[in-house]
Amino acid sequence: MSSSMLVCTGCGCLCDDVQAEIDGNRLGQIENACAKGAAYLQASFNPERRPKISIRGQSCSPEAAIDEAARLLSKAKRRLIFGLDNSTLETQALAIELARKLGAALDDASSFSYGPLIERILSQELPTCSLSEVKDKADLLLYWGANPTATHPRHLSKYTYYAYADFNPAGWYPKVTLSSIDVRPTELTAMSKPDFRIKPRGDRELISGLLGESPTASVEAKQLSELVKKSRFCTIFCGLGLVHSLDGDFSGFGQMVRRLSQSIRMAVIPMIAETNMVGFNQSLHKQTSYVNQVSFAGGVSHGRQFSFLEQVHKNAADCILIVGSDPFSMLPQSLMSKLQGVDIICLDHFSTPTTEGASVVIPTAVPGVECGGNVVRMDGDSIALAQPIKNGDPMEEEILRQLLQKVQP
Amino acid sequence: MISPWEGISLTVVTHEDVHLSILKHRGDWDDAYQKQAAIVRLSPADIEKLRLKDNARVELASSAGSVVVTAKSDATCEAGMGLMPSSLFTNLLASYDPGSNVLPGKYIEARVMPTGKDVTPVSDLIMRRNRA
Repeated sequence: MSSSMLVCTGCGCLCDDVQAEIDGNRLGQIENACAKGAAYLQASFNPERRPKISIRGQSCSPEAAIDEAARLLSKAKRRLIFGLDNSTLETQALAIELARKLGAALDDASSFSYGPLIERILSQELPTCSLSEVKDKADLLLYWGANPTATHPRHLSKYTYYAYADFNPAGWYPKVTLSSIDVRPTELTAMSKPDFRIKPRGDRELISGLLGESPTASVEAKQLSELVKKSRFCTIFCGLGLVHSLDGDFSGFGQMVRRLSQSIRMAVIPMIAETNMVGFNQSLHKQTSYVNQVSFAGGVSHGRQFSFLEQVHKNAADCILIVGSDPFSMLPQSLMSKLQGVDIICLDHFSTPTTEGASVVIPTAVPGVECGGNVVRMDGDSIALAQPIKNGDPMEEEILRQLLQKVQP
Repeated sequence: MISPWEGISLTVVTHEDVHLSILKHRGDWDDAYQKQAAIVRLSPADIEKLRLKDNARVELASSAGSVVVTAKSDATCEAGMGLMPSSLFTNLLASYDPGSNVLPGKYIEARVMPTGKDVTPVSDLIMRRNRA
């Protein structure tokens, strides 16, 4: 067995120090990966976890599946392309080109999660920094509505709290303050000193308190304000708890960060679970000046009506190409049931409830295991993926290139 | 005093669970998934109001649908709040709000009541789609 160093694409951490013993298509010992990453890598080498190439549930050749996908996209009147948050930048660029050629709507999961926050970071309305800068310089780590022990198991050990390599005779000691804001106790809140417990949807009130706008600012707001002002460099890691509580409206949050930035250095990093959501948002933003919810029908238009959720809700699309995403296991069943009868083409490296229900399924190579490419981590740093195995399924990139050649708008 | 069978209103707060992520990677949608996902954590006060024993089954009903899960007492949970891992169970309770900008299902308004029914099988929650 040969040992390969790879970048784990099991979550948004993109840990680049994972060592795996690989013999042909067999995976041996894995080192440095967390339990989630190890499960992801094991699934990559498990033939039962890989989808079967098929048209309406019947096995077929790769050529037949690609031809059928091209036929469905060509005959459709209202196409939608969704997903791509776990795809490489190279795949994302081709998907944008395909959407442009087809006059399709294009959206990703940031449309109902981190999109508004990423947009503010990309337009420099909110300050950010790289995770290596956090490690070197930040002295206050504030996880807000985030629990990395569940979502990004190595975030604390590789990039933040435990990544500080300072020791005294008694052993490791924290050089920074770890704090958190959450509605419930978690493994992280137990480690945080202090941790701030707020009511569900209480984040806006806390922000008002920090801004001094609320005459009845809570004790928590005053304590948090003191804590931040005492630090030199505070990094806020924003989780989905905060995004949901603010309903994607980061205006007050932005004002708060700007206010606090007057006395200390502040940085904001979204705790994105996907491996390349920032890459998708950056690429689309460069080409259209929007991060998501775009339509290429008759030029470039943008709006909520082009979001995946609205397109499904309104039955707006008659053919959907889903790339590396599993909306059937993450969205409300009442919404997804509206997709009955819609042609769905699914490109994925794993078998999922979405591949189970798709009209055409095309298995693809696992990024970082069977294909290389580039991705952008949650902090905006570019990461090159290794390719320890050379003989897997075709890359998403290859499939999209063929579709680009074959589709007729 | 209300009858526990009428149930009480609850805000279900959902959260990510690393064990469920691992089961999803493994493609394990069976018993292990059900055991990890079909749990609602309630405050001791709500457990008492509903006259439940720990690990009793409860029915959670929202405007979108209903599921039967196991109730566990959690002293860190506030009255009126239920904690559940995000899963196919919460997907069934969540409904789409066209006025919202975020993925539905983080906070779900539901009613919880004791039940004698079995925990909802995962197979009932996986959407079967007619492949066009």
